[in-house]
Amino acid sequence: MSALDTAPAASVATADQGHKRRSFDIGGAILTLVTVIFAVLWAFPIYWGVITSLKPESQVISRTVEFLPRTWTIDAYWHVLVNTMIGRWYINSLVTSVSVTVLTLIISATTAYALSQLRFPGRTVIWYLILASFMVPIAALIVNHFILMAQFGLINNWLGVILPQLIHPVVIIVYKNFFDSVPKEYREAAKMDSASEWRIFSRIYVPMNWGVTTALAIVTFIGAWNNFLWPFLAVSRTEMMNVAVGITQVNDAFGVQYARELAAAILAALVVAILYLIFQRRVTQAIMLSAGVKG
Amino acid sequence: MSDIVLKEVSKSFGAVSVLDKVSMHISSGEFIVFLGPSGCGKSTLLRMIAGLEQVSGGEIHLGGQRVDQLPPNERGVAMVFQNYALYPHMTVRDNMSFGLQNVGTPKEEIKRRVEDAARMLEISQLLDRKPAQLSGGQRQRVAIGRAIVRDPKAFLLDEPLSNLDAGLRVRTRLELAQLHHRIKATMIFVTHDQTEAMTLATRIVVMNNKRVEQIGTPMEVYTRPATRFVAGFVGSPAMNFLPIASVSDSNGKASVGLPGQTIETAVPMAGLPKDKLTFGIRPEAVRIAAEGQGLKGEADVVERLGERTLVYTRLADGSTIIAEDKGISAVQPGDTVYLAIDGNAAMVFDEAGKAYHAAA
Repeated sequence: MSALDTAPAASVATADQGHKRRSFDIGGAILTLVTVIFAVLWAFPIYWGVITSLKPESQVISRTVEFLPRTWTIDAYWHVLVNTMIGRWYINSLVTSVSVTVLTLIISATTAYALSQLRFPGRTVIWYLILASFMVPIAALIVNHFILMAQFGLINNWLGVILPQLIHPVVIIVYKNFFDSVPKEYREAAKMDSASEWRIFSRIYVPMNWGVTTALAIVTFIGAWNNFLWPFLAVSRTEMMNVAVGITQVNDAFGVQYARELAAAILAALVVAILYLIFQRRVTQAIMLSAGVKG
Repeated sequence: MSDIVLKEVSKSFGAVSVLDKVSMHISSGEFIVFLGPSGCGKSTLLRMIAGLEQVSGGEIHLGGQRVDQLPPNERGVAMVFQNYALYPHMTVRDNMSFGLQNVGTPKEEIKRRVEDAARMLEISQLLDRKPAQLSGGQRQRVAIGRAIVRDPKAFLLDEPLSNLDAGLRVRTRLELAQLHHRIKATMIFVTHDQTEAMTLATRIVVMNNKRVEQIGTPMEVYTRPATRFVAGFVGSPAMNFLPIASVSDSNGKASVGLPGQTIETAVPMAGLPKDKLTFGIRPEAVRIAAEGQGLKGEADVVERLGERTLVYTRLADGSTIIAEDKGISAVQPGDTVYLAIDGNAAMVFDEAGKAYHAAA
């Protein structure tokens, strides 16, 4: 009898849900439309760059708007790959970006561990200095960096490109927040287990925060790969340029060739785009972490 | 020999004192339980023995060596944490091996010790799993295994059963007792659960408010509590306390006047203060008697526990006393009941809480 009593109530609930599903959500629809418009506006330059790079140079400048090339060609890509030093620039970018990523993570993680877990005089002062340095834009330090690197004789040198890019207070801050949140019992258990500080750091704290490490690694790598200003100043020899700086060299005696410029830009962005597609979730997580939102 | 000796050990956090001159001697192979309410300092004391907290005063000796200035890993003790603190990214085998790897133990030796401990704890089949793939009881065993492989002088266990459900807690308690019997190691176990203390301990250290109230075997603590706090804290349901209106000498023993009745106790009069005394009696020494015999009261609440029934009885002066009746009891709430108090089981407490017992 009770089952019979409850059955109509269940039917009503289902009917209600069905009704809700069918009702048109005007607010949601407007929001969707607005976001689609913004997405199109945002993506259009990329689309335009891709189709322009696939046009013959003679068709790039036209009186009419052509959303698709009349003639499809990869001549621009071929020219960039064959006639420029893009291969060398890729190697430069790869070496400097990987070095910056690895060294930044090592320096930041060890610093954060010391600030989070060790007790030593001056710890709080150092922490506040790091927090304060977060407020200083890198561009404000760039002249100092240049003079310093020049004095060390590191201009036109991989090391000169890498060293000033290792200062990442935000990575230290994110790591410290994560290390702070590791329950102290793990550290105590490791101490009881005769682990040295280095073992506690490398075998307990880093593996327990592997997610944030990969997220920070991806974002740092993308940042280093896309960095233009400092590598542009630190390097003047074409063969030492990274790919972001190198694409500025894709011109010839006839001036700017748009298809070639855009082909070079697309080739330069390709690595980051592929990385982003593969590690999309981690990149989003890292951006949230950098903004202070713990994922 | 791995005796542990504490000499006037104190601990303060800034101006706040959490332990005040605690002294005790723990013999090798003993299973000692630190029992007390939250905040009494029992975990702090354990952590000081482990070396995870610095002592503010006093000395700690382990196996004849003073250790209070040594780091945790040089004290030769192993600790099982309340949340087990198993490294989540390591397998059970790696968790158990970690401590041995850190001191450079040869691989073959590590393998042998881990497998021996796993066999003893019946977790051999779990060695390649990670902690997240284990139940609470299995994690607890792994945590103990991690301690066993190090072959420590003493095991320190900080409320290791508190994260387990009731059934598993009872089972694990039994296993822990069997383990202690088997390896005969010195164990110090912290809990606020008196059942764990009573069932596991060779001796219980009852702590309250920064200091030790009593150290004794479970039955000593239960039958001859040193203070009113111990009498009230140990035992479930708690001991009954009634104000004593008067006390008189009856053949050298105290005869105490309670609201509505005078009870002849076995507590000697010698040394007993004359006023501001409290009468203490365990519920099992207060029985439901035949009508008209004993202390009269009204059954307020009746708890039927199966093998016995607890009758919360309101006396004429408004105070409540818990009495025991047989499992199938006819008493109903609101009934008038008569309570027979076994004066030989009674004890008396003075104003400061000191207990006076019948001669041993």
